[in-house]
Amino acid sequence: MTYFNFPHIEEDDNLKNLRNDVKSFLKTTFNSNNIKPQADAWMYSANPEFSKKLGEKGWLGMSFPKKYGGREKTMLERYVITEELLVAGAPVAAHWIADRQSGSQIIRYGTEEQKKEIIPKISSGECFFAIGMSEPDSGSDLASVKTFAKKTADGWELTGRKIWSTGAHLSHYMIVLARTEKLDEKNRHSGLSQFLVNLKLPGVEINPIEDMTHQKHFNETVFNNVKLNKDALLGEEGMGWQQVVGELALERSGPERFLSHYILLDNFISEFRYKMSEMGITSLGKIISELQTLRMMSFSIAWMIQEKKSPDVQAAFVKEAGNVFEKKLIETIREMSNLIPFEEWSSSLKSLFQDATLRIPANSLRGGTSEIMRGIISKQLGLR
Amino acid sequence: MKDEVKIILDICDKILLKNVDHHLRLNLEPNSTQFKTLKDEILSSELTKLLVKENLGGAGMTLNDIIPIVQLSAQYGTPIPFIETIISNFLLSELNIKPENDFITLTNKTENIIIKKDKISGNFKSIPYLNLAEKILVETEIKNQKYIILFKKGGKLELQKNFLSEPKFDLDAAELEIISMMEKPEQIDVQNLLINVRSIQSFGAMEKILKLCIEYCSQRKQFGRTLSKFQMIQNHISEIALEVAASGASLSTLKNNKKNFYNFKSTAIPKIRTGIASGKVIALSHQVHGAMGFTKEYELSYFTKALNSWRNEFGNEIYWQNILGKLFLNQNKNLWEFLNH
Repeated sequence: MTYFNFPHIEEDDNLKNLRNDVKSFLKTTFNSNNIKPQADAWMYSANPEFSKKLGEKGWLGMSFPKKYGGREKTMLERYVITEELLVAGAPVAAHWIADRQSGSQIIRYGTEEQKKEIIPKISSGECFFAIGMSEPDSGSDLASVKTFAKKTADGWELTGRKIWSTGAHLSHYMIVLARTEKLDEKNRHSGLSQFLVNLKLPGVEINPIEDMTHQKHFNETVFNNVKLNKDALLGEEGMGWQQVVGELALERSGPERFLSHYILLDNFISEFRYKMSEMGITSLGKIISELQTLRMMSFSIAWMIQEKKSPDVQAAFVKEAGNVFEKKLIETIREMSNLIPFEEWSSSLKSLFQDATLRIPANSLRGGTSEIMRGIISKQLGLR
Repeated sequence: MKDEVKIILDICDKILLKNVDHHLRLNLEPNSTQFKTLKDEILSSELTKLLVKENLGGAGMTLNDIIPIVQLSAQYGTPIPFIETIISNFLLSELNIKPENDFITLTNKTENIIIKKDKISGNFKSIPYLNLAEKILVETEIKNQKYIILFKKGGKLELQKNFLSEPKFDLDAAELEIISMMEKPEQIDVQNLLINVRSIQSFGAMEKILKLCIEYCSQRKQFGRTLSKFQMIQNHISEIALEVAASGASLSTLKNNKKNFYNFKSTAIPKIRTGIASGKVIALSHQVHGAMGFTKEYELSYFTKALNSWRNEFGNEIYWQNILGKLFLNQNKNLWEFLNH
């Protein structure tokens, strides 16, 4: 009767050693390069030099084949590295999307040329990607995208607008979901294709959008009759929807869905571990239990991806449970500080708390809203 | 899952499917044919000896192995001391005592215990299904030494006012016959073991509740549509599913090795997570079932009452949150180290 299985996966000694290696590397690199940990670093903290260092260590493109510059390591090894980077608040935003999902899409659907051209650069931390899914009129309803790729004698001509593309201003490429056939209302998921678009091409215009925290990390990307070669098509023409669903599983299931603000929790504990009230300690115990459970779920999905299973629904669980957790984290920190007035907090802790509080509303929007996640779960349960 | 566990699970599934229904739960009498048949089939299939060492005539399975069996039993809402007997026989086996061929129930809540020769007297609290078992296993402390004692039922049984799921009894015993008595080995923590059984059972019960919600809402129509087509209902049920999934995942803490069943951290995490989930699942499942779920006749309430009972046993999740919080703070590690060890 088990509806959604999250198999128990053990962290073996190899993975434990890898954790220690990453920790040592981060300590040394942070010190020697004066890097300061940041919350939500995978969205807000880009440092191409740091990304390159990770590439040199062999910690990007972990699961890609060696012949394309990958490391042929497991998804579990990648998971461990990802967790350690998030927990340290490392500046990973530049390469995050390329390493998490774009590279895997190219490995899975790309041509030999695309793989040879791009994967080695992703693995060395020198090629960054943005996501080209949402549009001004297509948020949660992804099948309604209007960006159109028209077939030409030389390839394709791309016209349209993408929005909320995190890091597009720093990226080399965007995987764009576009219509290659007119919308058929009876079969809305057909006629879509994915394209590998070089963001330096003529006709591409990137306009930063300031978010409510006054930061410019996401963008509007306009495609004004952008000429694409035939080989810009990623995967099969008309199979964009099927391809994008797999990509979303990679996007939704990782530990960034619940560790984005971990350093806030860690810093709070470091500062006030001996000043917490009984109520604060009780709230802390709750958050520990929930966090450890989420880690088990996400780790289990990494294993499922490694085993070529399709954990799309399990990914929706982690995304949604992660959203709930991170929102709760802010309230938990407030409970934990019930006897510690805000005025007593260090300025760095206050700053982390304020940033997290302001950024939290985005968590249940980016990568698919809570409503979409619950819709996916309902569909799987046969309610739709 | 090991092949032998799959086989056992299949045997167990067949017996429970054939014998357990809501009629049994509502009409549970020691002398009823339905109860006797179920008891006979369970005992004759040796399912109560799964955790008994092979040299003592058991299957030699580990605590980790029987997680899916405890889960299955809870999914069926099995209203007999089946799991209690498995655990009692396990404890006997750990003491190198042969298992019993009968139902045993157990408790670690004892007061005023006096042992004289081969007789035990005292007060025993919250003993599940004592009406259906003839022997009782207790963990009790006498002069700073913990003992595990098996004795024959007798004395005055008093049905506790409880959540109306499994019956629980208090027993005032005077000079009841001890069958075996041994010092409890230090490595065994009976309370944590019992808490973990409850966490697993809670997960199983919540899975059943999710199934009931889906079935009910897929059949019942209101305003010309099946309930399952209403977005608010879908939202409630997806939230239940989320809580069920998280509860199942939290049990991973127990699966690394059998010692984790006695470990405070690995006990606290699922105890807290299933406790939180139970509260949400109880409320949401009753909401989606409407008045039907509030009746005795429909089986939802059996499972929600069981959840209420289990989440309040051995300290509720809030009590355990405090224990876990202190456990971490007292270790003087940073949180990430604590989580990874």
